[in-house]
Amino acid sequence: MKNRTLIYSVVVLLGVSLFSCKGEEEYHSISDKIEGESKPYHGALTSEQLLADTELIEITEGEHTFLIPERKGQIKSFACIECHSKPVSQMIGKDAPKAHWDIKVNHANSDAMNCATCHNGEDMNQLNTLTGKNIDFNLSYKLCSQCHSSQFEDWKGGAHGKKVAGWAPPRASNTCVNCHNPHSPSFEKRWPVQFNTKTAIERNEGLGH
Amino acid sequence: MSDNKKWYSLDLGLNNKKESSGSCGCGKSEGSCSSTPKEQVEEELSPEEFYEAAINASIGEERHRDGFEQVFDVKMDRRSAFKKLTASLLIGAGAVTTSCSVTTGSDTKEKAQIDWEEQFKGNYKLMTDEEKQGTINRLMRSYELRTDKKINMTAENAAEDVLFGYAFNISKCQGYMNCVNACVEENNQDRNSEMQYIRIHEMKDGEGFKFDKADDNYYHEVPAEGHFYMGTQCFHCDNPPCVEVCPVQATWKEEDGLVVIDYDWCVGCRYCMAACPYDGRRFNWSKPEVPEPEVNKNQHYLGNRMRKKGVMEKCTFCVQRTRKGKNPACVEACPTGARIFGNLLDPNSTIRWVLENKKVFRLKEDLGTEPKFWYFMD
Repeated sequence: MKNRTLIYSVVVLLGVSLFSCKGEEEYHSISDKIEGESKPYHGALTSEQLLADTELIEITEGEHTFLIPERKGQIKSFACIECHSKPVSQMIGKDAPKAHWDIKVNHANSDAMNCATCHNGEDMNQLNTLTGKNIDFNLSYKLCSQCHSSQFEDWKGGAHGKKVAGWAPPRASNTCVNCHNPHSPSFEKRWPVQFNTKTAIERNEGLGH
Repeated sequence: MSDNKKWYSLDLGLNNKKESSGSCGCGKSEGSCSSTPKEQVEEELSPEEFYEAAINASIGEERHRDGFEQVFDVKMDRRSAFKKLTASLLIGAGAVTTSCSVTTGSDTKEKAQIDWEEQFKGNYKLMTDEEKQGTINRLMRSYELRTDKKINMTAENAAEDVLFGYAFNISKCQGYMNCVNACVEENNQDRNSEMQYIRIHEMKDGEGFKFDKADDNYYHEVPAEGHFYMGTQCFHCDNPPCVEVCPVQATWKEEDGLVVIDYDWCVGCRYCMAACPYDGRRFNWSKPEVPEPEVNKNQHYLGNRMRKKGVMEKCTFCVQRTRKGKNPACVEACPTGARIFGNLLDPNSTIRWVLENKKVFRLKEDLGTEPKFWYFMD
């Protein structure tokens, strides 16, 4: 009888050691699970339909390739040269209609930045880098990344900014100017959009017990 | 119940001859299986003996050892016991009466038929795809019969190779609470009790996470000087304690990692609410009400369909959206990009980049609940 018990316990022990880490709970932590089952997603779910109505362009920055919204079509008065037919220096003082009188630059201080830091006075259809190279309006993020390099790194990876549609591939991310006004990029203080009156009553008056 | 054992013994084929007698109809080897044996006994027992036998069948010796006695020692006569046991049957009988009546309209009959079938449906977790389709069809029809408005309810299963995860940037959140509003509208939460799944905590800079000192119901211009904001909601733990404690298995973890609730199976005991270390679960003390025009009609059985009084609910990562490839409503509504959602199994997803390249942490990691909700800073 004792022998049998011994055999049973050995069998059970063996069984436990063989099967305890198998099956559904194969992983000890979520990071093990992520690592163990990691594979590029090519499943049935995609964002393609959600993105169908958005004009997008594909960009490759470093090891990241993704879509960003096209910009030029969204700017009301593009192309700029329809009014800015001559370089800015030659248009100063002309009796032309004023179009951008309401723009105030609230971006760094005036010692560091002015209009010409980003806009090309010679060719208003283009932006220009600090070294004077032309940048297309669609790729304005290249301009921002000259100074905001850490934000740029995070944006490329996906830690900064927002997706255009869903989580499923293909990845489409908003570009800088979709969330930030380039002339006044920081977010304004404002009131929260809601206040929970029931919670306030509970906290102030108790639950009435 | 061949040898009246109350424990499970390993059968290695040594007792084969006893096999044929088996246990009871339900296939369990232990005491309480169904009411059938009780009813048989009932014929020959006095009420007191019946009461005794019923307790023995359900808890047996344990009642001498723990607090069950307090619960079961309530004197209940046979009539009220049977009244409780057959509550469901009475509802069903009512439905039959209505459906057989010649005076009621066909809509009423159909409604009664739907109520009958809904009353006796099984746990969603165990349903086949056809049964799932059946119940959502009934729920859609039932809504149409009651309100004359159509809703679109789906029952998508978890997609393969998908595990949902969430990251929250505490340096980006400004406390605007657009997410809270979007969540309430998306998920048809009760407007009367102002139920909210998401809490945004306003915390003092330099003091760390002090939830007792934080304010989650502020109303002043934000971001307030010297404060930061962080949101909490259901973290969809990989090892969810709320699921462990549910006595009726009305809540469980799906293949894609979502912790969901079958509102029709929940008995409202709120064990899960007590078990959750993150205050992620909410209870409907009253019948949830949403003005008809504000009802979000794109629904999922496990998600934002209308709940009833006395059941639990919580964030589902907007299952009705995410299983179609969309982002949850809070992610879409966030004006600051503080919320990142995606597929943890896809090495090309942005959430994976965040986990691998930012310094991330989770709340109460030492509990071993393995939340799939990470916080990080710029």
